[in-house]
Amino acid sequence: MYNGIPVSWYLVVSAILFTLGVIGVLVRRNPLTIFMSIELMLNAVNLSLITFSTYLNSVDGQMFVFLVLTVAAAEVVVGLAIIVSIFRTRRNINVDEMNILRG
Amino acid sequence: MTASVPTLIEFFVLAVASVASGLGVILFKNAVHSALSLILTLLFLALFYLQLGAMFIAVVQILIYAGAIMVLFLFVVTMLASEDTGDVDVPDRRPWQRGIAIVLGFVLIGALSYLLISGASIDGAARTAGTNGLAENVASRGNAQTFGLALFHGFAFPFEVTSLLIIVALLGAMVLGRRSRAGGEHE
Repeated sequence: MYNGIPVSWYLVVSAILFTLGVIGVLVRRNPLTIFMSIELMLNAVNLSLITFSTYLNSVDGQMFVFLVLTVAAAEVVVGLAIIVSIFRTRRNINVDEMNILRG
Repeated sequence: MTASVPTLIEFFVLAVASVASGLGVILFKNAVHSALSLILTLLFLALFYLQLGAMFIAVVQILIYAGAIMVLFLFVVTMLASEDTGDVDVPDRRPWQRGIAIVLGFVLIGALSYLLISGASIDGAARTAGTNGLAENVASRGNAQTFGLALFHGFAFPFEVTSLLIIVALLGAMVLGRRSRAGGEHE
């Protein structure tokens, strides 16, 4: 359903959301907030995919978004399990303190 | 075909709202507020998908992303929030990192916007002669049915692979979540 809005407008909104996610990953130190910024980046890319699905008149973009959603769900499950298990041993999840592997 | 005024108003309201709640995700100090702001962003993006005609994906986004994934996030955030592990109490180790990150973020937005506005032009031929003829299928059968046909005819193998992926993720979460028998919990 092409609705008359130029395709670049949707892509610019997607780019802004993606950049906000990137800044969130770089600036925040709580790993849960970093994880949420990663999810924001995934959603920005989903918006791009749906936009191209509409503007190229093909359902492949929506298919891709479906699979990205599934992979994001699996990633969130495993990532949160990792964060919880780190928290159990160290009682602190500030990423600046996680420097055991530093040489 | 130019956009009608209600469509333009919808677009701008949704764009401003989703960028504002995206800013809320990265700016709130409390992680619970960040999670709620992310839920709001997901809902505004679902409305974007509705405006673009992807009705099935919009509903799936609300059900799965905002309804299941973010609930899982909130469980973990509230479980870990009681230990006061946010950003407020520990001083920055590298305080110059925030300034550089924000400046580079603006550079990224500027570069991406310039490239997208000057480069993205999908002409009418590509729009009407897509590989699956989405608009015609949606007009005759509906979005969910078109999506289902494509999923089980063309994308059946990725669909089965995602079931394997979910099993692997489930096993990983169970293994990681188990408490060790040796009792080495405290330091």
